[in-house]
Amino acid sequence: MARDLTLGQYYPVESFVHKLDPRIKFIIMTVYIVGVFLVKHIYGFAVVAAFAILSTLISRVPILSVLKSLKGIIFIVIFTAVLNVFFHTEGKVYFTIGKLLITEGGVFFALKMALRLILLVLGTTLLTYTTTPMALTDGLERLMTPLTWIKIPVHDIAIIMSISLRFIPILMEEVQKIMKAQRARGAEFDRGGLVKRAKALLPILIPLFISAFRRADELALALDARCYNATPNRTRYKKLKMHYRDFIAFLAGAAYIVLIVAVNNKFWIPTLTYSFPFI
Amino acid sequence: MSEIINFKNVSYEYRSGENFHRGVIGLNFSIQEGEFIAILGHNGSGKSTLSKLINGFLKATFGEVNVLGINPSDDRRIYELRSQVGMVFQNPDNQMVATMIEDDLAFGPENLGIPREEITERIDWALDIVDMKEYKNKMPNKLSGGQKQRIAIAAILSMRPKILILDESTAMLDPKGRKEVMATIKKLNKEQGLTVILITHYMDEAVEADRVFVLNQGVITVEGTPAEVFKEVRKVRDAGLELPIPSQVCIELISKGYDIPFVLTDEDLVDALIEQKQRKSKQKPGFKFK
Ligand SMILES: Nc1ncnc2c1ncn2[C@@H]1O[C@H](COP(=O)(O)OP(=O)(O)OP(=O)(O)O)[C@@H](O)[C@H]1O
Ligand SMILES: [Mg+2]
Repeated sequence: MARDLTLGQYYPVESFVHKLDPRIKFIIMTVYIVGVFLVKHIYGFAVVAAFAILSTLISRVPILSVLKSLKGIIFIVIFTAVLNVFFHTEGKVYFTIGKLLITEGGVFFALKMALRLILLVLGTTLLTYTTTPMALTDGLERLMTPLTWIKIPVHDIAIIMSISLRFIPILMEEVQKIMKAQRARGAEFDRGGLVKRAKALLPILIPLFISAFRRADELALALDARCYNATPNRTRYKKLKMHYRDFIAFLAGAAYIVLIVAVNNKFWIPTLTYSFPFI
Repeated sequence: MSEIINFKNVSYEYRSGENFHRGVIGLNFSIQEGEFIAILGHNGSGKSTLSKLINGFLKATFGEVNVLGINPSDDRRIYELRSQVGMVFQNPDNQMVATMIEDDLAFGPENLGIPREEITERIDWALDIVDMKEYKNKMPNKLSGGQKQRIAIAAILSMRPKILILDESTAMLDPKGRKEVMATIKKLNKEQGLTVILITHYMDEAVEADRVFVLNQGVITVEGTPAEVFKEVRKVRDAGLELPIPSQVCIELISKGYDIPFVLTDEDLVDALIEQKQRKSKQKPGFKFK
């Protein structure tokens, strides 16, 4: 069950997206996220969604697996949407609940926020599906290399990230094991009020921390045994080389952001403004 | 054969504030290149302490340690030493830093600044030795315990060490995984000439070694070939250890008056019993007709 965890779970198939240089993927991801926050227009959202869907198709990761990542945020999406409906009062009033107004502007704003969140998660999920955690950290490390000039331990940060990604599923599995063990001793995790439930978590957290520290201990020894930090002239096994495809992907990213800016500024479709004032 | 490890009167004390804790006391031994050493001892007897003194994780409180001509207390040569003295631990999950097997094998050589082409060669070589070639670009999650531990060994081998220390590396494995790992260790020792130091709780593993050290309360109380060591029944039991099962059977039989030699392995026990039976039937040829 813990193995299904989407965070940092690589989907191993061969595709154009998988083979892209992680640095390029990071840059495109940044551009994508900027796009998600820039769009104001329903057609802008269409551009973002099209970009996400196209990328998914090209990556050969089943769309369903990518969509599964939404399960985890559904609550947050609904929550922000509901909140935003009431926060924005603009335009035609649909109906009122006491003092709260539900307006056309509010509904559209809430929809936009929900869409933003969903698209954000879909994009980042695709990144982790198509890039091994090692490549991710590698790419990030290289993009951050200039920061070593101001004495930021970029390599250490990268290792910490990579190890965290590796241990998340292991620790998740451990949580399940501990829960089972405590259940066998008669513990109940899904009954009683909030306080009682919180208290029931204690017998999970304590063994979990003990085990995590024990693991950290052995891991530290294993790092030392493998000469971590032996020389500042560390070499790299994985070659990162830009290819043709990276250039193409880069162009796609550029086209994406240009399109969004264009749609935002209604370059091509001026008439739309009048039909949907708030989208 | 030349000497590769030498301990002269080595002691180690753990210090925490005012308190001292015995680690090991007065260790004297020498290990030759290419030897296979097993270290036995109950919990807290100082096995891990001994092994950590070899690769400089710990620095001797008293006495002199010499490993490959390097003094592990010498901080300037510590990485040179550690690249030569590989150490594998108990839980394979806690020893992998990368999510991809080949990246994990690359980690050690990368840290040492080995050129890329050579790292590639080393990875292929190491995976070949542990018989995991087809897993090069796989993730370790789905592997069995024995396979994971073999990957952990390969990740150390890629540094091309001369000495391999395994600190209870078979303790968490099932019998099948244990067999796989033992076969790998023996292969490394016999075919690659690696000096192996195996810390274990399993007597049947110790029996495979060239020499066995028994640690008791931080002191080496018995040392010698497996046959020599396990004949010291009293001392072995004092150290909180049991004899290998075949030896136990053998001692039981001898105490019942049977005349069989002292054996360590299942095969030898079977041989001894067969021989005993044949001898009996020769002594009493007419037995069958009665
Ligand atoms: N970090 C430490 N601080 C204080 N005392 C320690 C420390 N590590 C080990 N000791 C003590 O040193 C002694 C030897 O420990 P060591 O870990 O070498 O034993 P071991 O034979 O490896 O045991 P095990 O089979 O449990 O791994 C033990 O009595 C232990 O309590
Ligand atoms: Mg130990």
